[in-house]
Amino acid sequence: MLDGVGTLLRLGLAAVWAVSGWLKVSDPNQTFVAVQAYDLLPAGLVSPVAAAVPFVELALAALLLLGLGTRAAAVLSGIVLLAFIGAVAQSWARGLSIDCGCFGGGGQVAAGDTRYPQEIARDVGFLLLAGWLAVRPRTGLSVDGRFARATVDAR
Amino acid sequence: MGGAERNARKRKRNQGGGARPGGATSGAKAGGAKAGDGKASSGKAGGRPVPKPGSAQAALAAARGGKNDRTKVILGVVAVVVVAAAVIGGVIWTDNRKNATADAAIPVAAARQELPTTREDAAVLVGKDSAKVTLDVYEDFLCPACGGFEAQFGPAIEQKMDEGVLKVRFHLVNLLDSRSDPEGYSTDSANAALLAADEGKFLRFHKSLYDSQPEEGARGWSKDQLIELGKAVGLTGQAFADGVRAGKYDQQVTAAYEKARSTDHLLQDAGNGQKAFGTPTLAVGDRVVDTSQADWLERLVAG
Repeated sequence: MLDGVGTLLRLGLAAVWAVSGWLKVSDPNQTFVAVQAYDLLPAGLVSPVAAAVPFVELALAALLLLGLGTRAAAVLSGIVLLAFIGAVAQSWARGLSIDCGCFGGGGQVAAGDTRYPQEIARDVGFLLLAGWLAVRPRTGLSVDGRFARATVDAR
Repeated sequence: MGGAERNARKRKRNQGGGARPGGATSGAKAGGAKAGDGKASSGKAGGRPVPKPGSAQAALAAARGGKNDRTKVILGVVAVVVVAAAVIGGVIWTDNRKNATADAAIPVAAARQELPTTREDAAVLVGKDSAKVTLDVYEDFLCPACGGFEAQFGPAIEQKMDEGVLKVRFHLVNLLDSRSDPEGYSTDSANAALLAADEGKFLRFHKSLYDSQPEEGARGWSKDQLIELGKAVGLTGQAFADGVRAGKYDQQVTAAYEKARSTDHLLQDAGNGQKAFGTPTLAVGDRVVDTSQADWLERLVAG
C-alpha cells in the first residue's frame, strides 16, 4: 500500500522535473535571462548555472522515472528545491519583480505581476514529494526494487 | 548499523577470498555484530526464523544484509554520477549551441543613403539641417522592443529624415548589458556604432545590427564580428577596429544610460505606481512621444 503511494509520488515528481527541465532546455536563452534575473550569481556563473539546471532536472526526472537510486535522487531533488525556494524568497524579500522561470519563462515582470507566494507554495509541495521518497524510498516498478530482489535471489 | 554491516561485509570477503591480512581481527570483531545483523536482515527477509547468534545461518543472513546495503550504496552513487554527468554534459552542450554564431558574419542591411551625422557623446544626431523637429530615441541594441520599433518604424523615420523634415538623435544606452551571454553586448555594440558615426557610417551599421539582433540571453556579436561588419560597410581604418577593441566610448555609453534613467521626463509607468526608464523611449524636448497611434510620426513632423 505504502509502496503504491510512493510509486505515485515518485512518478509525479519525475513528471514535474521532466516538464520543467524540458521547457528550460528548449529555450536556453530564456533560461539564461531567468537565472540572471535573480541577481544572485556573479556574472561568470550565470551562464554555467543556466546551462546546468535544466539538465539536472532532466537527470532527476530520468532517475525517478526508472526508480534508480531513488533515495539519492529524492535527496538531490530536495536540495535543488530548497535552493529554488531560497532564490525565490530572496527575490521577494529584496523587492525584485521577476517571474521564477520555474516552468520556462522567467525574467523581469511588471511590479504588480509577481507571484512569489504561489511559486513558493508550489515548490514546497514538490519538496513534500521529495521528502517522502527520501525517508521511504521503497516503491514499486523500480530498478532499485529489482536490484534488491536480485541480490536476495542470488543466494 | 553501518559499522556492524561493514564488519559483516569484511567477514564475507574473508570467507570467500581466503587469506587476507587482518582476517583474524575482523573475524573476532564480527562476533559482536552477528546478533544485530541477524535481526536486521530477518526483518527484510520477511518472516524467516531469526538465526541463532553464532550459527552459520546468522553469518549468511548478515552477509546478505551487507550485500543488499552495498547495492543501495552503488545505486545511490550511480544516481549522483548521472546527475553530475548531466551537469557537465549540459554545460558543454549549451555552450556549443550558443556558440553556433561565433563564426558567422553579420549580414549588411540593404544599402541606405547616409545622411549628415554628428556624434554627441554617446548620442548620434542624424538628419538634414532643414529639419525643424528633432526626435530623441533611446535604445539598446539588445532590446527586443527596440528591434521591433526599428523594424516597424525605421523605414518611415528614414524617409522623413531623407525629406529633411526630421532629425533623430539616437541615444545608445546599455540598459541590458548583463542580458547577453557573455554579458557586455549592449555596450560593445553601442560603442561600435558610435565609432561608425565618427566616420559617417552610422545608419547602415545601426540597421545591420537591428536586422540581425541577438536574442536576450543569447551570445551577442563579438567585438571581432562587429569589426568585420564595420569593414563590410566601409569602416576599414585601424581607428575603428582599435576603438571597438579598446571600448573607446564605453564610459560615455554608461554615463548616458545613468543620465537617462535619472531624467524624470523620460520615465514611464512600470506598474504599481512605480516609474522606470525603459527602451525604446522616444521624446521631443521634454515630452515623451506616444507611438500607440498609427499616425504619430506624421503628426510629429506636422508639428
